[in-house]
Amino acid sequence: MRLTALRKPTRLTSLRTRLASGDPPLLRTRLCAFPLAFLLALGLCCAPAWGIASSTTATITPTLLPDRLGAEGALQLVIRYSTDESAVPLPVRSTVLRFPIGLGVEIPHLRSCSPTRLRNHGPSACPTQSLLGHGHATAEAHVGSEIVSEGIDLTLFVGPFHNLQPTFEILGQGYSPFDERVVLSGTVRPDNPPYGEDLVLSIPPIATLPLEPDASIVSMSLTVGTAKPRHPITVNTIIVPPNCPLGGFPFAAEFTYADGSTGSALASALCP
Amino acid sequence: MTGRARLLCAGLLVCVCLLLAAAAWATETLTVNEAFTPDKLGAPTNLSVAAQFSSSTGAPPSPIAKLTLYAPAGLGVDARGTGTCDETTLRLRGPQACPATSRVGFGGGVGLIELPKEVIREPFTIDFFFAPREHGHLTLLAYASAIAPVAVEITVIAKEVPAPAPYGLGFSVEIPPISTLPGATLASVESAFASFGSPNVAYYETVHGKRRLVHLKGVVVPKTCPRGGFPTEGTIDFADGSTLTVNPTIPCPHG
Repeated sequence: MRLTALRKPTRLTSLRTRLASGDPPLLRTRLCAFPLAFLLALGLCCAPAWGIASSTTATITPTLLPDRLGAEGALQLVIRYSTDESAVPLPVRSTVLRFPIGLGVEIPHLRSCSPTRLRNHGPSACPTQSLLGHGHATAEAHVGSEIVSEGIDLTLFVGPFHNLQPTFEILGQGYSPFDERVVLSGTVRPDNPPYGEDLVLSIPPIATLPLEPDASIVSMSLTVGTAKPRHPITVNTIIVPPNCPLGGFPFAAEFTYADGSTGSALASALCP
Repeated sequence: MTGRARLLCAGLLVCVCLLLAAAAWATETLTVNEAFTPDKLGAPTNLSVAAQFSSSTGAPPSPIAKLTLYAPAGLGVDARGTGTCDETTLRLRGPQACPATSRVGFGGGVGLIELPKEVIREPFTIDFFFAPREHGHLTLLAYASAIAPVAVEITVIAKEVPAPAPYGLGFSVEIPPISTLPGATLASVESAFASFGSPNVAYYETVHGKRRLVHLKGVVVPKTCPRGGFPTEGTIDFADGSTLTVNPTIPCPHG
């Protein structure tokens, strides 16, 4: 994963150097592709790639706002899962998300929120500077003869560094019929072109009732950054890559489902 | 016992009854497991029950005709904010027609249909609902549904009955004969499970134009646990005239 200082993109090793020398962490930081990875992690799934092919498939629709190279703005990602074998897709247990080179996040003031704090006290307990985005998801589960559906509010935060690697936290908060919270944590690792970095995300089971199956995410929409002008410059935004490859900005994902089956997906965001 | 407690107990009893229903296979072995989740005295919880028959002969048990269940004293059901569903609505329009706030629990299992040369195992589901009280007594509805190979939908009413010590609430439910295929025996049960209440259930309600979230306590673990655990009892009357009584115990919370 690429982490850069100020407006000059820098490799993550630069951050390591700063921390080792005792310099304060970046005040203005770019966290390339992390948020995107989280978004994708929640929902990407798809055509079988390795292992036992899954019966669950997914579609991904990324949208960059504004639609301009090098611009600061927002990324909206919509993911929908479906399955042919039952009305509810399989729960996702782990995901590896791949993001295009150059995609980043502008973070004027680097702050983080721990998953424990997020889980115990909710979004209001986190520094506002650590907020990266908002979204919504829908979870479903078979209980009895019914499919119970629940809306989930998503909030994305910068997480604490782990082994000098940035992390991200996604809080999922459902209210009815179950008032429950779940926190997803992700770590970043470098990838090969055309991808910049991967986000490795572990997704805990979303329990419903004892003896009943876990819930599955069937759709989600997450917006990272903001397309609105920043006054003052305090909110975090997405940085659209300065160059767009032929065919658009590439995204990919690999998924492992609760039954052990796997799948993968490719998607691209159109060039401006 | 308070009305809330009666409601809670009723739910528990219904669950246990269904589970016990599986016990109809009286001549064979019946294993029953019950648990509170979370397991804490006086706290809102989920009560889960699972029952499994095993047979050395391979012959299906006799169909269940009636279940009578008793829940431990002190078990509570806080029904504030819950709705009710009437039997006609549930029978004619299905669970989707019942208010979400009337849900008490869910369950399922495996039914048995015996043909001349084979026994068909068919999964089924159960949905439990609060029904309007009858003469001040708690009433629950259980909607059992199976899809394939035989489509079955039945609605039964569980009525509150007096419970002897050391129990706090009793429930009784009569189960009609379930015919399936021409030449097949009446349907019986191989295994069943039920899950009642949840510590984190919440529903939205609109008051004076404002939408607010209302939390339901639902099932509440008794504040004290008798030595040896929480006692429950279930009696199953089978269609062939035999009777089976089981006395599962829910272990006391640790710590």
